Amino acid sequence: MASYFVDKKGFLAFLKGVIKKYPLYGTVERDGFPVFKKIEEPEELVLSAKPTHLSPKEFLFPPRELLLRFNLEDGKAEPVVEAREQVIMGLHPCDIHAIGLLDRVFSHGRGDVNYLERRKKTILIGTECLPDEFCFCQSLGTMDADEGFDLFFHELKRGYLVRVGTEKGRRLLKRYTKPEKAAKKHLEEVKAHREKKLKGFTRCLDARKEELPLVYAGSYEHPLWERIGSICYGCGSCNHVCPTCYCFDVRDDVTLDLKEARRYRVWDGCTLEDFAKVAGGHNFRKDRSERLRHRFNRKFRYLADRFDGLFCVGCGRCSRACLVGINITDVTNELIKDAKS
Amino acid sequence: MQRADAHPYMPQPVRLERVERLTEKESLFVFPRPQGFGFTPGQFIMVGLAGYGEAPISISSPPSEKDMVELCIRRVGSLTTILHKLRAGDTIWIRGPFGRGFPTERMHGKDILFIAGGIGLVPLRSLIKEVLAEREDYGRLTLLYGVKSPKEILFEEELELWQKAGVDVRLTIDRAYPGWKGNVGVVTTLIPQVDIDEDNSVCCIVGPPVMYKYVILSLGNRSVRGEDIYLSLERKMKCGMGKCGHCQINSIYTCEEGPVFTLQEIRHLPEAI
Ligand SMILES: Cc1cc2nc3c(=O)[nH]c(=O)nc-3n(C[C@H](O)[C@H](O)[C@H](O)COP(=O)(O)OP(=O)(O)OC[C@H]3O[C@@H](n4cnc5c(N)ncnc54)[C@H](O)[C@@H]3O)c2cc1C
Ligand code: SF4
Ligand code: SF4
Repeated sequence: MASYFVDKKGFLAFLKGVIKKYPLYGTVERDGFPVFKKIEEPEELVLSAKPTHLSPKEFLFPPRELLLRFNLEDGKAEPVVEAREQVIMGLHPCDIHAIGLLDRVFSHGRGDVNYLERRKKTILIGTECLPDEFCFCQSLGTMDADEGFDLFFHELKRGYLVRVGTEKGRRLLKRYTKPEKAAKKHLEEVKAHREKKLKGFTRCLDARKEELPLVYAGSYEHPLWERIGSICYGCGSCNHVCPTCYCFDVRDDVTLDLKEARRYRVWDGCTLEDFAKVAGGHNFRKDRSERLRHRFNRKFRYLADRFDGLFCVGCGRCSRACLVGINITDVTNELIKDAKS
Repeated sequence: MQRADAHPYMPQPVRLERVERLTEKESLFVFPRPQGFGFTPGQFIMVGLAGYGEAPISISSPPSEKDMVELCIRRVGSLTTILHKLRAGDTIWIRGPFGRGFPTERMHGKDILFIAGGIGLVPLRSLIKEVLAEREDYGRLTLLYGVKSPKEILFEEELELWQKAGVDVRLTIDRAYPGWKGNVGVVTTLIPQVDIDEDNSVCCIVGPPVMYKYVILSLGNRSVRGEDIYLSLERKMKCGMGKCGHCQINSIYTCEEGPVFTLQEIRHLPEAI
């Protein structure tokens, strides 16, 4: 994989060029935290080392997405695929791994055209990060991204080291900048940052990632589920912010003029009360403890069987978002401890 | 990454040929079988109306019925209530079929015990009629069918026809009812009454969630093996393609791996029954 050096001027030129050609979604600072938004001016973008509270999944899998349109006057229906070319910039390695997992999900079986078309038209640009007190990607092998992006920017003292992940990325970079080959000193700076990052983690899982499916399999009846279930609000924030939670509901509505009905999907969450409730009132996961157990098992066990990969990338967002302080590393480590004893 | 060309949510319109009220809550919806619409008994389709959404509904007619497709739908919620207002000539939108049905080829030469609770007879009807269409491929056929009250018995005339065609049909109602002379009690009370050759029988069970546990216990007492017990499980479903997450039972997706499972396949899943 080729690495280039781009100076700060080159970087701004790159952004300018990208913004002219594509809608660019990237991170800006708001109240001291990075958030993703549409970038209109190159100067707005701040490639932040801090994790974003919301994941970037919304740009590939929108919270509300039109699927079909029914014309109620002539009785015809048409599928809708809203996919435009776009660039997402500021993705951390965990986010890049998460998108790789969503790719597997939506191309599984009958491919999901809405996601796949949008994905095909999206350019992913990563950036390096530093852990906060919730991050634990080093425990899950998602701390580094070697693939899954088009370009990856490492901020250096005097510019950027840019790793090229795809031909599309290389073309984009060369269209707007004159990148030099990266020098040894640049690579060393990247390496030093990695060392710093590794030292910055305050949390880790106390087992190897390969052991986690078994740890969870053996913890189905663990009293912890009752305990955290009794404090959980069932608010669904953990699902909402998670970059790999992809469950959805499909709904219809009708326009006010009664001329058109629309079928769309919206994000749903397995921790919400009605998630597994069927007509007639039977709820297959009535208790919050059951729903939390389901969510955690999906991350570390259920989907690992199905898609050959853990569905937690260690971003810590669910812990960061939880109003009652349920922390995924604490939960997992308690299960690990009891599984080992 | 794979690309699907056809939009997976795009349904096809079908015009209802006939809508027939069966009971207070259930009606039969009949439409011409679309070109290339192949299925196995136990599979389901997503049935929808523009502006009202979709719901998974089992195909109730057998694959051997080439001209028509029949659905039997209970009125329970928003969509099914509107469906019940439709008449012949109206259009519904369908997608599918989805899921895995009953493997009839694995039942050849065997006795089949069908156990239905309430609306569970709907998917079993497809299987029963398919089996009767090739009657000589199977051994003894028995149907145990439990409903709450005589008013809820579905396909009453067909039950008689099946009886004549050699199915040992036994009915039960949950609680005594004026004028009812048959068996009273839940469907499990019928199980001890039937003669089961446990080495050469399969059981196909469809009913409400509460029913499975008790039926399986009684069948276990009769030494029927887990791989010979087929059940169809109901869960909430939104996509039908293993993605939306609603139908998950522990690690499996009911819409894809099911809805028909052998007991063997789901025994280790605490959320299954
Ligand atoms: C594989 C399968 C086969 C089925 N076959 C039949 C059948 O042949 N006849 C029949 O009458 N019913 C059948 N059902 C149940 C039927 O799908 C529900 O009764 C129906 O979804 C209720 O929709 P509603 O809009 O009227 O109810 P509401 O309570 O208003 O439901 C709202 C939405 O929740 C979902 N939902 C609610 N209950 C269920 C449920 N039990 N299963 C799946 N999704 C649900 C649906 O997407 C529905 O659109 C089947 C269910 C499954 C899973
Ligand atoms: S489960 Fe929590 S830590 Fe893991 S990927 Fe989802 S939000 Fe991040
Ligand atoms: S964010 Fe916390 S309180 Fe809300 S559903 Fe998730 S675990 Fe429960």
